[in-house]
Amino acid sequence: MSYKKVLLHGLWQDLPPFRLVLGLCPALAVTASIENGLGMGLAATFVLIFSNMLISMLRNIIPDQVRIACFIVLIATLVVIVEMVMKAYFFPLSQQLGIYIPLIVVNCIILGRAEAFASRNPVLLSMADGLSIGIGFTLSLSLVGSIREILGAGTWFGIPLFGSNFEPFEFMIKAPGAFLCLGILLGLMNAYSRKRGESIIQT
Amino acid sequence: MREISKLVLVLSLICGISAAALTIVRVSLEERIDMQNDFYVRGPALEQLFQKPANDVLKNKIAFAIDDITYPIFYMTDGDMITGLAIEAPGRGGYAGDIIIMMGIDTEAEKIIGLEIIQHSETPGVGSKVEKVSFRKQWCNLGISESFELRTHGGIIDAISGATYSSNAVVDGTNRVKSIINDHLDEIESLIQANLD
Amino acid sequence: MDLLLLAIGAIFVNNILLAQYLGNCPFCGVSKKLSTSVGMGLAVIFVATLASIFTWFAYHYILKPYNMEFIRTLAFILIIAALVQFVEIFLKKQSKTLFNALGIYLPLITTNCAVMGITLLNIKYEFNFIEVIVFSAASAAGFTIAIILFAGLRERLIIAPVPKAMQGTAIALVTAGIMSMAFLGFTGMVK
Repeated sequence: MSYKKVLLHGLWQDLPPFRLVLGLCPALAVTASIENGLGMGLAATFVLIFSNMLISMLRNIIPDQVRIACFIVLIATLVVIVEMVMKAYFFPLSQQLGIYIPLIVVNCIILGRAEAFASRNPVLLSMADGLSIGIGFTLSLSLVGSIREILGAGTWFGIPLFGSNFEPFEFMIKAPGAFLCLGILLGLMNAYSRKRGESIIQT
Repeated sequence: MREISKLVLVLSLICGISAAALTIVRVSLEERIDMQNDFYVRGPALEQLFQKPANDVLKNKIAFAIDDITYPIFYMTDGDMITGLAIEAPGRGGYAGDIIIMMGIDTEAEKIIGLEIIQHSETPGVGSKVEKVSFRKQWCNLGISESFELRTHGGIIDAISGATYSSNAVVDGTNRVKSIINDHLDEIESLIQANLD
Repeated sequence: MDLLLLAIGAIFVNNILLAQYLGNCPFCGVSKKLSTSVGMGLAVIFVATLASIFTWFAYHYILKPYNMEFIRTLAFILIIAALVQFVEIFLKKQSKTLFNALGIYLPLITTNCAVMGITLLNIKYEFNFIEVIVFSAASAAGFTIAIILFAGLRERLIIAPVPKAMQGTAIALVTAGIMSMAFLGFTGMVK
């Protein structure tokens, strides 16, 4: 597999959480504003790149029977590091993301990439895969976050967009808005894929 | 047998390395995390109490331990004189855990400057009303030897209607601060003097 | 009375799936058939309650006294993973019927954010031991109710004329959104 292909596949072909239907919880939970979505995306990207790197480095040492346990320990270690770094440098963001930062541990994207890619491929290629999927995830979360924040609060990055007469569509920043927004985006994406004649993978 | 020992070896090796890495990160970031925590959680309360930028007050900090609880105490000085204290204490018995309060005390006039809520997990809209100024200002300008009790218990503090637990927890926290001031003020002052020198 | 309110709050008002967004991967993944969703739901109730008890003890009696709170994420996921493994072995030996019913869902639970989320929420809300049991069982029951209702809806959806682009996960998410709206109606029931 070429680097170019690996670097690009996370941006459309395997774009999480839309094409690769994994990691839905953060995509729904922390996207009430773009700032939170972006922060969560970047935290997950960091964990993805380094977990892919470590797992790929250790792939010949880790015995098959305990590989999942080893992966989980490595991922959890990285997540705890992210947790501490965020507390030290981005305290308000880390308070807002709350328990969703430790929950990166159980984000299926990360374990999924470890199992499907990093445990079979060389180190640099695995890191490229982590970067690509991570950026895809960050972009998706930022997109959902932007839509929900603009419609639901009338702001973008906290800056008011529409003036004082705008009555925010508060439903969008509540739970149902998250599900609807993600579902409709997924539908639009499928429609576009069908038009281009690509096959739709998720069932 | 060799298989199993290899499994155990690899797993414990990975765990060991993780633990080491985490300890290193923890040690190198601990101080910064505490600072950030002080700045964002206690900073706004201290600014309210002392009417000074948080950064001026945050560094004036001591920890006073008594009965297994450590109380963070912030102080204001005028030359060598201690003019004000802000003592943080947990108020036990809230509806959803402890309510952490911070009480500001003017040590010269021996009265209370103000009361701030640092942290709580009370029900939004009910117990969370302990954050309201109208509730907190009941303590302002009270002397530090007065006893704080809810009106239902014969005191002078009006509870928040529908949130007796939360109100009680705040009262409990303020009484802790009061008893620290009444019983241990000398020790605290000598700790602060030691910190100043 | 307080415990009852806590339980009702956890099941309906703050439903872990539809209001706190935890556990959505299995929610979309194994909700195509009613029978599988029942199995998954029961397995989650079982593991989440056990895991909450173990993590609560580990946190309050090991991590906290030694000032090790910062590794709680690592400790919790290891406890959950070990517990799931242990339950699987135990069920296989002791109860064939239960194993056949829950067995295949157990490995999936390790990475179910609902379980991990409940254990973290227990710590965040500073519950005592009894509250932990009530809250975790009720939250997991909330998960089960939501996933069973959702599976029922999805079985119906198969025969509905859904636009081609919306088929599959897209319409499932929209359905979940409408369900979540219905659950939003419970807000205000418990103070």
